[in-house]
Amino acid sequence: MIIIQTENLSRTYNDNALPVQALKDITLTFGQSEFTAIVGPSGSGKTTLLNMLGGLDRPTEGKIWIGGTEISRIKDSQLIDFRLHNIGFVFQSYNLLPVMTALENVSFIMLLQKRDRKEIEERAREMLIQVGLEDKIHVRPSKLSGGQQQRVAVARALASKPKFVLADEPTANLDTASAFNLLDIMQKLNREEKITLIFSTHDQRVIERAKRVITLVDGRVTSDEYFDR
Amino acid sequence: MLIKLAWRNIWRNPRRSLVMIFAVMIGLWAGVFVASITTGLMEQRFRTSIQQQFSHIQIHNPDYLKENNVVHRIDEWESLGKEISENENVKAFTMRTLVSGMIASSNLTTGIKINGIDPEMEAQTTGLNENVIEGSYLAGEEKSPILIGRKLADKMKVRIGSRVVVTFQDTSGELTSSLFRVCGIYQTSNTLNDELNAYVLQQDLNEIVAGDMIINQLALICHDLDSVNKVALHFQSRYSHLTVRTWKEISPELSYMQEMTGVMMTVILLVILLALAFGLLNTILMSVYERIRELGMLMAIGMNKRRIFGMILMETLFITLTGGLGGMLFGIVTIRLFHFTGIDFATVGGDSLNDFGFDSVVYPSLDPSFFFTVTLLTIFTALITSIYPAIRALRLNPSEAIRKD
Repeated sequence: MIIIQTENLSRTYNDNALPVQALKDITLTFGQSEFTAIVGPSGSGKTTLLNMLGGLDRPTEGKIWIGGTEISRIKDSQLIDFRLHNIGFVFQSYNLLPVMTALENVSFIMLLQKRDRKEIEERAREMLIQVGLEDKIHVRPSKLSGGQQQRVAVARALASKPKFVLADEPTANLDTASAFNLLDIMQKLNREEKITLIFSTHDQRVIERAKRVITLVDGRVTSDEYFDR
Repeated sequence: MLIKLAWRNIWRNPRRSLVMIFAVMIGLWAGVFVASITTGLMEQRFRTSIQQQFSHIQIHNPDYLKENNVVHRIDEWESLGKEISENENVKAFTMRTLVSGMIASSNLTTGIKINGIDPEMEAQTTGLNENVIEGSYLAGEEKSPILIGRKLADKMKVRIGSRVVVTFQDTSGELTSSLFRVCGIYQTSNTLNDELNAYVLQQDLNEIVAGDMIINQLALICHDLDSVNKVALHFQSRYSHLTVRTWKEISPELSYMQEMTGVMMTVILLVILLALAFGLLNTILMSVYERIRELGMLMAIGMNKRRIFGMILMETLFITLTGGLGGMLFGIVTIRLFHFTGIDFATVGGDSLNDFGFDSVVYPSLDPSFFFTVTLLTIFTALITSIYPAIRALRLNPSEAIRKD
């Protein structure tokens, strides 16, 4: 089942009146339960593509469909709501709310979605157990290691059961052990929750685990390979 | 959830938030306290001016007001007095014989207004007996007693029992002098008035001035301020050839002073709220700039603009209300405390307040509605102040904000 589809996606930035084309003619589809890495050197357009797929930026040309909705055409206010109910995000710098506990951080998106309180707490606890942080439920991010914070971020992104999760270089700030641990968890959740995970990365550790690797160079897709892992 | 987040956000930088909360608290406390002193000062001035000096209503022969001459009497004082005593809106009244003249001791001769009074009526109307600080009120057995103000007594260097000579024109235009003995010294909060007014028994003065009863002024105190105009209009219509004036006509400056108090309070309040607005703006703006990445994340994961705006607005409100309520509470406590003990400004300013007709001991007082107004205006200021930082936050591009260092 196709979750995301892009058609001739292009993005041009006008830096100092000098147009810079960050993405050129990208046509891709992403199916359910994919574990995809978008790779490429710095400036190749990985983050721009992720921003487009996540509805954080709009294409200059082309179209993006997510589950039948063309997000490149909907209004900003609708797009925010669309993100809330359909897309999960994991950021390079974790970006947790420092004033909230791990449990509150994981519950946050579901609270914004106005779900049932009891259901939220159960699901948030379940996710924290799944990422191995059952003993850190009431701990604030400042008391957690980088790896633990990123696990909370992953739990937050997946807790609301979005259509897909976008992770922008999630292991970039982690040591090897933490990175492997995080990848194990993400793979497990991908399998169990059947949620599509799309990474931008140039971390070889992530690339080696991905079932699909899309390579970008100068804003163009140069290869799109599937692996049986 | 938003409330919890906003509340915790303000304690993210506790020192900065506490400084702002204390600033709001001290600012509002100072404003409320200064306003209460101003109100107390003005209320006391109003009360004493009405009670000791003007009364609510004065009735004169119109010619007396032009010439200040004792001959311009109120002929029907008996019937008028009877009607006034029967009027249910009138609490008390007094009838005075008024003569301008000179008072002389062995040390000084000076101009003075002699008030011939009925001691009992005067005591009920102006409470003059309560202002006697030395000697006795005019009720003694003594012959030709005179009650003079402390400042005049000091200037003339007279004491209780001293003799003074009072000279004035009688009704036939002849200059006449009479010997009086100082029976008492009084002091009110208006030293200038004390220096210019002396009180003698009405019958003593009338014997010297005319040989029969002359009344130049009737002064009335009503039960409440609201009935003053009604009473004045009633007697003016009944005695159209006399001049009936309310306190507002007798002393327009007193009325003006009342209006000015309102203006002063508004100015004090505006200055405080303006300072509050800038302090808050700085704090909230700093807090927004420090959280650009976090705000970007919130927008990215789907927190809509209304919620972001609400969160920033609540943060501003929490700081303001915490400080504001603290300031109000502190204000209420200090006002209540000093309302009973009073603040004696004589210790720093001597008699200077008395020279302008104000009490030197001020009892702070504030209308409860002022607190309500201040609370509402403080909330309003916080709401207005939060708009700019909130707009700055809403203008963030989430994809750029997330990457901000």
